[in-house]
Amino acid sequence: MRLSRRTRLAGVALIAAGSLTLAACGGGSDDKSEGGGGSKSVITVYGTNPQNPLIPTATNEVGGGDPIDNLFSGLVAYNTDGSVTNEVAKSIEPDAAKKVWTVTLKDGQKFTDGSAVTAESFVKAWNYGANPDNKQLNNYFFYPIEGTDDIGNTVKGAKTVSGLKVIDDKKFTITLKSAESDFPLRLGYSAYFPVPDSAYDSAGKITKEYGEHPIGNGPYKLTKSGWERNKQISLEPNPDYQGVHKPKNGGLIFKFYAGGGTDAAYTDVQSGNLDVLDQVPPSALTTFESDDKVKAYNEPGSSFSSLTIPERLAHFGNDEEGDLRRAAISEAINRPEITEKIFNNARTPASDFTSPVLDGWTDKVAGNEVLKFNAEDAKAKWAAADKIAKWDGKFVVAYNNDGAGNKEFTEAMTNQLKNTLGIDAEPKVYATFDELRKDVTDRTIKTAFRTGWQADYPSMLNYLGPIYATGAGSNDGDYSNKDFDKLIQEASAAEGAARYKLIGEAQAILMKDLPAIPLWYQNATAVTAKDLKGFVFNWKQKPDYYALTK
Amino acid sequence: MWWYVAKRLLQTIPVFIGAVAILFLLLQLRQGDPVLNLAGNKPVSQEVRNAIAAQYHLDDPWYSQMFYFIKGALTLDFGNTFSGQPVMDLIKETFPVTVTLAFMALLIDAILGITIGTIAGLNRNGFFDSTALVISLLLISIPIFVLGFVMQLIFGVKLGWTSPTVGGDWTVTDLILPAIVLAIANFAYTIRLTRTSVAENLSADHVRTARAKGLSNRAVVRNHVLRNSLVPVVTYIGINLGSLMAGAVITETIFNVPGIGNAAYQAIQQGQTATVVAIVTFMVMVYVLMSLLVDLIYAVLDPRIRYA
Repeated sequence: MRLSRRTRLAGVALIAAGSLTLAACGGGSDDKSEGGGGSKSVITVYGTNPQNPLIPTATNEVGGGDPIDNLFSGLVAYNTDGSVTNEVAKSIEPDAAKKVWTVTLKDGQKFTDGSAVTAESFVKAWNYGANPDNKQLNNYFFYPIEGTDDIGNTVKGAKTVSGLKVIDDKKFTITLKSAESDFPLRLGYSAYFPVPDSAYDSAGKITKEYGEHPIGNGPYKLTKSGWERNKQISLEPNPDYQGVHKPKNGGLIFKFYAGGGTDAAYTDVQSGNLDVLDQVPPSALTTFESDDKVKAYNEPGSSFSSLTIPERLAHFGNDEEGDLRRAAISEAINRPEITEKIFNNARTPASDFTSPVLDGWTDKVAGNEVLKFNAEDAKAKWAAADKIAKWDGKFVVAYNNDGAGNKEFTEAMTNQLKNTLGIDAEPKVYATFDELRKDVTDRTIKTAFRTGWQADYPSMLNYLGPIYATGAGSNDGDYSNKDFDKLIQEASAAEGAARYKLIGEAQAILMKDLPAIPLWYQNATAVTAKDLKGFVFNWKQKPDYYALTK
Repeated sequence: MWWYVAKRLLQTIPVFIGAVAILFLLLQLRQGDPVLNLAGNKPVSQEVRNAIAAQYHLDDPWYSQMFYFIKGALTLDFGNTFSGQPVMDLIKETFPVTVTLAFMALLIDAILGITIGTIAGLNRNGFFDSTALVISLLLISIPIFVLGFVMQLIFGVKLGWTSPTVGGDWTVTDLILPAIVLAIANFAYTIRLTRTSVAENLSADHVRTARAKGLSNRAVVRNHVLRNSLVPVVTYIGINLGSLMAGAVITETIFNVPGIGNAAYQAIQQGQTATVVAIVTFMVMVYVLMSLLVDLIYAVLDPRIRYA
């Protein structure tokens, strides 16, 4: 058969087009996740594709963190208000000095593969997390324990943390570097979760397979489909779970939203395709509370925003001039105006360095009037500083443009500074969060910059020590004050009212020195489907997933 | 002709290397440290930072990163994303939905665009023509994200005709709305291009000759006007498939389509150089192959074009 030239050409074109179409048929599997659990319904919640393998010590962002919190149980579990209840631990007892803690485990605790949760399951996992060779992002959480350096790495050369000792199958001890009366509060964080023996390969590394399909001991376990990349993570109740967060629903599906996802997720809640979205997109902030297609939640939350002016900047040293200038800048910022006009009241002006959701929080911290807008006093203080050394140049505030509202608030803030103090002030943009953080971490940044903090565990001290103590891991401004360090250490060892008094005194020092200028607390905002019940924000600004029903 | 195809395919090798080099150079311009992005607000020790950087060659100069990348690419191993997924798997998972979306948009674009454009061109300056021109002007001037959000609100949320987002369990039906949004801006251009081309050909010599031979109007339009008019339109539509896939980033974000545009966007945000390069290079290859395909279709449409 003789084909005409044109027919042959068409053939080539068809084959090429065909192969493209064939390639297109690969995906789109439609296996439904097997939720199970009788008549209880499966709740779909907002999620993002985890950025790290699902290993407790490797995951520190919410995309992986939320599923992990539901797949594992720690020694203690957090109640909604941030207090703790023993979960896997039967008891966690300190010695008289509050330095050595003895942990005893409950009987009959099991991982979902049937193996027992032993003292070794915890100690081995923590040793693994603290060893920098294993590249675990959460290693910083181990810094209070003896045998680690300031940033939580095992001390040079050591493979294990010397402060951890296994006594027997059900008992181990934790030796701390210094006395800490609320140490157990830390132990519900995901970095402290146990990992079963089956997770490790013969070389002692946690396997890739485990990171994709983790076996835990928590309220939920992965369904057979488990983590489907770029799609969802499906969890079903763990029938063997005996702890305090017994699931009331038939399972959870963390549905992933990529790119600028909260907008798409919000529309999904409106149209009934998603049950829970735990962060309202900026585009909906003005309307979500009056939207009759959803249930809205808005209350003060646990994350804290501040402005850090490093001491190494000219005119901002740790001296009288620096103190005056920081106070002047703080008083020149009209916080309520910004939280109302720019954030639609989804932020609450700060009155201290911690968060209103915590035990012991008060708005009566000595010296916190410096956080109130006061143009006259700001001008006076700035003028007083000018007498010590004349101000020249520009006051620049760096921000990252990939966070919603950052650009708007930084512009507003620098305008307020301009108008009130009569100085030249301007924002400086970094395109992404990590570009800003690189300059901050490497100390190459030559301007003031925005900072934020989200607690690791529900204690006011977690907002102070890790950020402002001398040499602390997140002390971006290199602040150092011996009195403050001492008060924090005493507060760690103290209990009850005495503790809060010490924290108050420590905060009073910060109000004077302003190593960071407190701006506002971020509100926890959420929308859920109309028929969803049991939604309450916990101290972490997350719903208690186990309690959701519909 | 087969020699021509082989030659064109050989040309893709330097295109591949060039694209990879440009991408690595461009990504050099992105400051920052992806490891700090992973760490968030929490401190990360220098040891861990170095270890992760070494694993993904983050601190190497761009040419050595490029060397590792090409070495891997020869065995179709593009490395892993930070979450441990092979980049090849990521492409395999996300590409099908983007291709489906782009082809659906292309189909809408081609069918509606050519039909309306032809009718408008045949009735030049008539009522239909003027209306089509005004509407296409309107469509061109509305940004795609405005159109996307508005259509999502109307058809997804208010009327509930379709799911407002696509999500992981995507089906072709879910993709109809995003495909229409994606097609609309292009389709306005297709109308205008077809219309002009048809109108021009109507007064061409060979059409006059065909009419003089006494051929029916239908035969004249189909064989002599349309086929000749389609050459520029096919070029436009073919090249468009590439830009449809690239332009899908916005549409994919609005409708939460788990496609390759979304994957690339996230990888750029997180500074995952190797992932970005792999995905974009892959798109470049698709683009190159599409233009080859277009060139071959030319010859089908226009007998004067020969490839040797």
